[in-house]
Amino acid sequence: MFPKGNFKKTRQERGYGGRREFGDPGSNWVSGFFPMCPDSDLEMLMARYQQGDFAAATALIHRLSPQLHRFFLVQSASRQDADDLLQETWLRIHQVRHTYRAGEPVLPWFYAIARHIRVDHYRKARRTSAREGRLEEMPEAAAVHPAQAGGTGDLEALLAPLPESQREVIQMLKVAGMSLEEVARATSSSVGSVKQKAHRAYERLRERLSGMGLSKERAGGLS
Amino acid sequence: MRDGEIDEVLQRAAQVPHDVDPALLDRVAGSIGPSPGPVRPLPPAWVLAGGLVLICAAVALAGAARLGLYGIQKLSVLERALIFPALGVLFWLAAAAWVGEMVPGSRRRVAPGTLLWAGSLALAAMFAALFHDYRTEQFVSQGVACLTAGLLHAIPAGLASWLFLRRGFAVNALAAGLVAGTLAGLAGVTMLELHCANFEAPHVMLWHTAVIPVSAAAGALLAWATQFAGRLAPFRRRP
Repeated sequence: MFPKGNFKKTRQERGYGGRREFGDPGSNWVSGFFPMCPDSDLEMLMARYQQGDFAAATALIHRLSPQLHRFFLVQSASRQDADDLLQETWLRIHQVRHTYRAGEPVLPWFYAIARHIRVDHYRKARRTSAREGRLEEMPEAAAVHPAQAGGTGDLEALLAPLPESQREVIQMLKVAGMSLEEVARATSSSVGSVKQKAHRAYERLRERLSGMGLSKERAGGLS
Repeated sequence: MRDGEIDEVLQRAAQVPHDVDPALLDRVAGSIGPSPGPVRPLPPAWVLAGGLVLICAAVALAGAARLGLYGIQKLSVLERALIFPALGVLFWLAAAAWVGEMVPGSRRRVAPGTLLWAGSLALAAMFAALFHDYRTEQFVSQGVACLTAGLLHAIPAGLASWLFLRRGFAVNALAAGLVAGTLAGLAGVTMLELHCANFEAPHVMLWHTAVIPVSAAAGALLAWATQFAGRLAPFRRRP
């Protein structure tokens, strides 16, 4: 069964006007995390960026970098890697900014490019390791707990046991506040596939959290 | 534990503030430069897909006209009415899929692999339903000639289409190569249906349809090789 978490969000339902409480009818708790980034605002900034407006580019960088950085941190092993990936992503975004079309959802466009950079980086790193004869170290490096490797907190620790594909889906749905349709666009997959990954991720999280006795306590944080 | 409780735990975890080093953001902004320069956004998807269909149809038609339009002259009205609209639908699906692969964050209505096998199977089934001559005279020699001719027309169709879509950016080069090859292969099959007057069912079903998977495989291989060469480039530049 698909988790009953609030995934089916339309752009109008996002409630960017201010933070709402989780559980309110039609609310989206994610909006509380990024109240400054309504899609229409981002689309407007993106259009101005395409017209050559440096202020709009800077505003986009400042608004989206924290969530992109967190996306990399949840996926990769170290803060240094996340910093590098973030820089590389913005360079690529700059090179291909003409491929964004006004009226299309803007977050899937950013995340699709960020995801491409991450996958490319991982493959390059694997090749470098093979070249340097340290291939056997890769699985260990990938398995390093983000929180132990300079990560910043509970989200990374919470999602660490999930497989990469489930981690990115949960991160996009629950942290970036994207809808199922938007995550499907960002990951070049179907809505059904996203639902399935979210469902499996919830199953794993349920097992883990139940094991930690959080169902009764619902304690804040995992640390 | 209920889903709502998991939501709540995720919410708490995600609420932990996450800051990025301001110096890093300044470096990123600095790398873009004070005047990024205006760019012309890509046209709407339907314009790009329509352009691809026109290019591939033009290559197929020009190739068949050069070799002789023997096939379409010999086809019955019913066969024409079924084969060419079906090819048109596949053209549109493949073109739309390729455009989707070349624009990040596009909706993927059909996966490139699914389009390839479903399209090839649908064409083969339609040919099986339409043609009932089961002789296999000069099966291999004529078949190889048709396959070669189809692929030789898929190459210019693929190249012209790639030139048309060159401003796009493929986040998954392999998928983009596969669907590009599928579209180019469809141009090759269309040329064969216009030109080839051999209506033996095994010939049409195998050798004509085979142009699509072979062309798709070539497209994917080319994309993989390009990607591989790109990743090797930093190593080659090392002293």
